[in-house]
Amino acid sequence: MKQRWLYLAAALTMLGSGGVAKGIFPYKVDTRTLPNGLKVIMIPMSSPGLVAYYSVVRTGSRDEVEAGKSGFAHFFEHMMFRGTKKYPGSVYDSIVTSIGASANAFTSDDITAYHLNFAVEDLEKVIDIESDRFQNLDYSKEEFQTEAGAIYGEYRKNVTSPFAVLDEKMRDLAFDAHTYKHTTIGFERDIKAMPEGFEYSHSFFHRFYRPENVVLLIVGDIKPDAVMKLVAKYYGGWKKGYEAPNVVPEPPQMGERSADVSYQGKTLPIIDIAYKGDAFNPSNRTYVAAVMLGDLAFGSTSDLYKKLYIQEQRVDILDASIPMNRDMPLFEILARVKKEEDVPAVRDEVYNAIATFQSTAVDAKRLGDAKKRRKYAFLMNLDTPNKVAGGLAYTVAITGGMEAVNALYAEIDKLTPDDIMAAAKQYFSPERRSVVVLKGAGQ
Amino acid sequence: MRIMTLTLAMALLGAAMFTIGEAAVKPGDAVLLPVPTDATICFRIWFKVGSQNDPSGKEGLANITAAMLTEASTKKNKYEQILDKLYPLAASYDAVTSVEMTVVYGRVHRDNLKEYYPLFVDAITAPAFEQADLDRIKSEVLNFLENTLRYSSDEELGKAVLYDDIFAGTPYGHITAGTIGSVKSITLDDVKEFYKKNFTRDNLVIGLGGGYQASLLTTLRKDLAGLPPGAPQPIPPPQPAHIEGFRVTIVEKDAPAAAISMGVPIDILRGSKDWYALAIANSWLGEHRNSSSHLYQVIRETRGLNYGDYSYIENYPRGGMLSKPPQNVCRRKQIFEIWIRPVPLETAHFAMRAALREYRRLVENGMTKAEFNLTKNFLKKYVLHYAPTTMERLGYALDDRFYGISGSHLAKFRSMMNTLTLADVNRAIKKHWHYGNMQIAVITKDAKALRDALVADSPSPIAYKTPKPASVLEEDKQIEAFPVKATPENVKIVEVKELFN
Repeated sequence: MKQRWLYLAAALTMLGSGGVAKGIFPYKVDTRTLPNGLKVIMIPMSSPGLVAYYSVVRTGSRDEVEAGKSGFAHFFEHMMFRGTKKYPGSVYDSIVTSIGASANAFTSDDITAYHLNFAVEDLEKVIDIESDRFQNLDYSKEEFQTEAGAIYGEYRKNVTSPFAVLDEKMRDLAFDAHTYKHTTIGFERDIKAMPEGFEYSHSFFHRFYRPENVVLLIVGDIKPDAVMKLVAKYYGGWKKGYEAPNVVPEPPQMGERSADVSYQGKTLPIIDIAYKGDAFNPSNRTYVAAVMLGDLAFGSTSDLYKKLYIQEQRVDILDASIPMNRDMPLFEILARVKKEEDVPAVRDEVYNAIATFQSTAVDAKRLGDAKKRRKYAFLMNLDTPNKVAGGLAYTVAITGGMEAVNALYAEIDKLTPDDIMAAAKQYFSPERRSVVVLKGAGQ
Repeated sequence: MRIMTLTLAMALLGAAMFTIGEAAVKPGDAVLLPVPTDATICFRIWFKVGSQNDPSGKEGLANITAAMLTEASTKKNKYEQILDKLYPLAASYDAVTSVEMTVVYGRVHRDNLKEYYPLFVDAITAPAFEQADLDRIKSEVLNFLENTLRYSSDEELGKAVLYDDIFAGTPYGHITAGTIGSVKSITLDDVKEFYKKNFTRDNLVIGLGGGYQASLLTTLRKDLAGLPPGAPQPIPPPQPAHIEGFRVTIVEKDAPAAAISMGVPIDILRGSKDWYALAIANSWLGEHRNSSSHLYQVIRETRGLNYGDYSYIENYPRGGMLSKPPQNVCRRKQIFEIWIRPVPLETAHFAMRAALREYRRLVENGMTKAEFNLTKNFLKKYVLHYAPTTMERLGYALDDRFYGISGSHLAKFRSMMNTLTLADVNRAIKKHWHYGNMQIAVITKDAKALRDALVADSPSPIAYKTPKPASVLEEDKQIEAFPVKATPENVKIVEVKELFN
């Protein structure tokens, strides 16, 4: 979870800094679209012959709208490595191996991304095998059912972490209707039933793995005109057919919720305080202010962090996550508390910090420092094709393009202390709140 | 194509732009990696001290002393003030301590060097060593030992138990974090004394990379010369006890799945021809987090038992978090290691057998020509992904110094893929890998049943919930009866709460 927190922060930083001013993004962006709707974002940059190639599917666990199918987007990510008639899984693997590519994939709420890093001389080969599996995926029922075992293995690996247990409980508590109710890996009962979903998996592929729902992000030592010729050759015959899922909006929360959850091992207690937030929207000033508020109120230079972590040493983790999502996510504050009897007091300290930000304008210099921090974090994280592509993938998945990068940072630049106060008031109210306390079973 | 290859080679050769020095450190010794086009500056200050230098009863002291430099107050600034000053720079510094090395590292955009540099240097040369900081850091290490390591990741737990068992009785014989008892006993005086003795001007190598000006090195040398003189006594490489047969530690806990790690010491280090030959065999058997791993194919891809299965000829800490090898965790003694990610409890014995069977087949039969060609071509390009950033390449350059490698390990890795033959690889396998002796750590429920099964070497048939091809079921019959017999005295059961005390 801590890792997740950091990753989200990094993703936000990347996103947030792109448009601080025209020209801060040091690479030219070349975006083109095939007639079938496949968008290709190309970013040439100096790199020693390396290319990062991301196929961003704008589908994640958010799109798992059918009952009993939680975790399917992630499962499907695994199935994409099982091959086609032209390149069966073992052949696909051996091609990736023969070119020494670093290849993997990941799935989250709103995205499934497949990424390869390789030498530019192998670009056509990569375009060939990637376009093939996106159009012609073909696997047997046996392979499908075997892969379900690997998914369960991944679940078992994760479930020993208290943060995974906490996340599962918080989502289930806070959401009623929206698919953010489940984690990306899914409910355990649905993972157990995955081997039964062979027919459903075909429908998943045919509805979501379509050119209008996929964006290619190609970064590195490339020449866009030559890349586009190859993309047109290999992806040009891909048929349209995307069917948007009917994701049920979450109704407004009418009051505070709370729950306890038990972790079967030993852990220090962890308190997770979550508020219903807002969908990512770079022109929503209050949302953008909330992104900064998380850092200002709970980050390493906040009064609360200094008090609870450094001076009083009552917590060993204090962090906030203000994620960017396609729909309404949770804005979360998380603290790991050293003594169980301190949990209520730490909770109240978090509430007091929020109250302070609701009633008092943040110091203008601190806000300026936060903006400067974002700018440099952004600049320092553009040193490899993989970092550039990986950092932009979420933006692309959520918005379908890169324009939001400029828009968001322009908005961040305009933020005033009053905006921060407005965000504290709008989002961090008790009726939007859910609180989960996790304790170890051995305590 | 030719130009491309040349460009790649030059990128790697960049890591070779440092002086190859003697084993002993000279004052102001530096490993330099200038990259004028890089807008950032990278620091790695390597102190030749690690957990092997922890005094007896004070295990964990090297790690805590390093944290007292980078996560605590200095004489000029309280820790809170340091965080405030670093914040707008989007920069930080940290330390990594392993058995033989402690490296204080940081990276900053050149626009912010002026503000960053004094903070970085003060952290090393002017720590305040305040009791409140020590209390905070100790409490975090204790939480890691008492809770996180024991309960939250069984795979990390299995690896810690494996290394502790293999290196028991040697200076490598405890994890870097130490033990609960030793960490509790560490005082401020211990930290001050350890710092004075080990974090000296005669015991460091400067690593500097990126877009820095030459004057920065002069300033850094001058500032670090203000550290106390002297150096600790060299410690000979550890001599772990010989492992005869299968020695197993089963950690009993309420685990949802069984995590397995296995290993045996090897007498080979990065830099020698045989190491690169063995790297080809190891990559084929178990390339880290890669579907090209043969163990992955057998256990995960074909049978769906877990999330992945890999093997190593160098220590690879934080393997669950990293996809490429870490830097600055060098050792003069390595083990061959197999990592089986958690499998269903009832398949632990089977999975262990499946992995050992593949290892034995490789040791006895060697690689085929096709496997060899595929793997060497893979590695030749794959190592390009090991160090795409200046910071990572600087880390490798320091590691080259540690291992006494002339030039760059990564460049040598690539060139070796052009010169090594199948015979070289199969000879290296025969010379360095010997099937039959292995330390094994298993984290699982019902340890007694597993112990009885291992001692009896009883069959471990597997039942799948879903259909499998006949060829797989046929091979399963061989796996389930594959001999992995352990004597009763070689199987130890411990409860998780007994670990790291």
